[in-house]
Amino acid sequence: MNRPEYASPPSLERLYTDHHNWLQSWLRRRLGNACDAADLAQDAFVRLLATPKRFDTLPQARVYLRTMANGLCIDLWRRREVEQAWLQTLAALPEVESPCVEHQAIVLQALQELDSMLGNLPTRVASAFVMAVGCEMSDREVAEKLGVSTRMVRKYVARAMLHCLQLDARSALDDAETFTQPASPDAVSAPLVR
Amino acid sequence: MNASDRALQEAAEWFALLRSGEASEADRSRWRAWLAASSENQAVWSRVEHLSSRLEPITSSPDRHLAVDAFTVARTRVLQRRRLLLGLAGLAGGGLLGWGTWKHSALPGLTLTWLASHRSGTGEIRQVALADGTQVWLASASAFDQDYQPGLRRLQLVAGEILVSTASDEREFVVDTPQGRLRALGTRFAVRLSDTGTSVAVYEGAVEVTTASRGETTVLQAGQQSRFTDRVTETPAAADPAREAWSRGILITRDTPLGEVAAELNRYRRGHISVATEIAQLPVFGSYPITDADRTLAMLETVMPIRVRRPLPWWLVIEAPPPAP
Repeated sequence: MNRPEYASPPSLERLYTDHHNWLQSWLRRRLGNACDAADLAQDAFVRLLATPKRFDTLPQARVYLRTMANGLCIDLWRRREVEQAWLQTLAALPEVESPCVEHQAIVLQALQELDSMLGNLPTRVASAFVMAVGCEMSDREVAEKLGVSTRMVRKYVARAMLHCLQLDARSALDDAETFTQPASPDAVSAPLVR
Repeated sequence: MNASDRALQEAAEWFALLRSGEASEADRSRWRAWLAASSENQAVWSRVEHLSSRLEPITSSPDRHLAVDAFTVARTRVLQRRRLLLGLAGLAGGGLLGWGTWKHSALPGLTLTWLASHRSGTGEIRQVALADGTQVWLASASAFDQDYQPGLRRLQLVAGEILVSTASDEREFVVDTPQGRLRALGTRFAVRLSDTGTSVAVYEGAVEVTTASRGETTVLQAGQQSRFTDRVTETPAAADPAREAWSRGILITRDTPLGEVAAELNRYRRGHISVATEIAQLPVFGSYPITDADRTLAMLETVMPIRVRRPLPWWLVIEAPPPAP
């Protein structure tokens, strides 16, 4: 079962059988939580389904899966960090002023998406972008809030937008690669079912 | 720097200038010249518009200033945590030392409420597996609450549309909407909320509809669809199996009026798509990516006598092409 070499590129089912339990227990050790571990393990395979990779050996597949799962852990942790900050902000409000739960959730989701989009940009750059674009504040207002010049604010906004555009272009490229991946010899002999 | 990188950088700088509130008329006309200069610039600019539209839930929120404060706090904490981790052990393996501490200091009540409900963003199609094995697909901007009790599996549709494929279980399975209750007697059906009522389409098995105020019941069989208000259920019609293709991200059209296609695309996109009345009835055929209105319309533009114009970043107008000179 655990032959180190795959004779032919393994199907997703095969990868799932070979690695799912291993990945889930690896995640459980990392996260200390069985539910999150199960979710992320599932998530990792869903991603593999969306963007198939070709593995020749079993260790190769594990290295890939572990790297991906590690990234998912960090994503999860960051999403929760944003969630906690938002919940704390809301908890400090008098009850009558609290937005409805549904609305809170929409804003939270947008904030989490934004946080992951802006990646590891400096806090100041990311915040300037969110204030300027999310709050539609003028450069002058943002400058006052951050204690920098308006010139700086414009630079921050441009830098954050460039970062997002590069990310966007890269992911478009990744998608393109998925479709142009060379077919395995098996796939060539078998007719493609659409 | 290659040409493509330059276009990205220029687009980012134009964006920063145009939104700063300090752009002059001369700046704007230079920007228009830049945009007209190459199709690459136009393509990159459309990505700028797309990216900025993703902040729309924050922009349109009355609490946007609070949201930004929370965002800044979270970013600062992430940074502090990362510094701490680097100091302790290096980031190899991305160790999550703060994890346990975090979990105990969270606010469990609110977090649980949020975890209990499922939601999809605009333009997102999400599949959720519930604990009993039931699968639910959420269409764009949809939400439901899950309320499983010892004797009853209950979902409350809050917004949008869901496709449900129930797993067998001893407990009854129902979906509640403001207009009534749907009891699943079979396995696969779609429920959609609109201003005028609830629509149901049954693809497998059967569904019993009970209207909220009159308590009238109607059974819809596989292959039937209907709409109901809190009082009456319309006479069932044939359900179009192509309708559930959205769960796979596909919009299937067969002689579908352009106006309906645009309305459907609108659900998956932030902003607004309008169709000139004289072309709203044009028939559309084929399969399209439902979450990518821009691509779908570009495809339609090549095969239909239509033109797509963008008066504002989030506003698409579909109209008849200008007469040939």
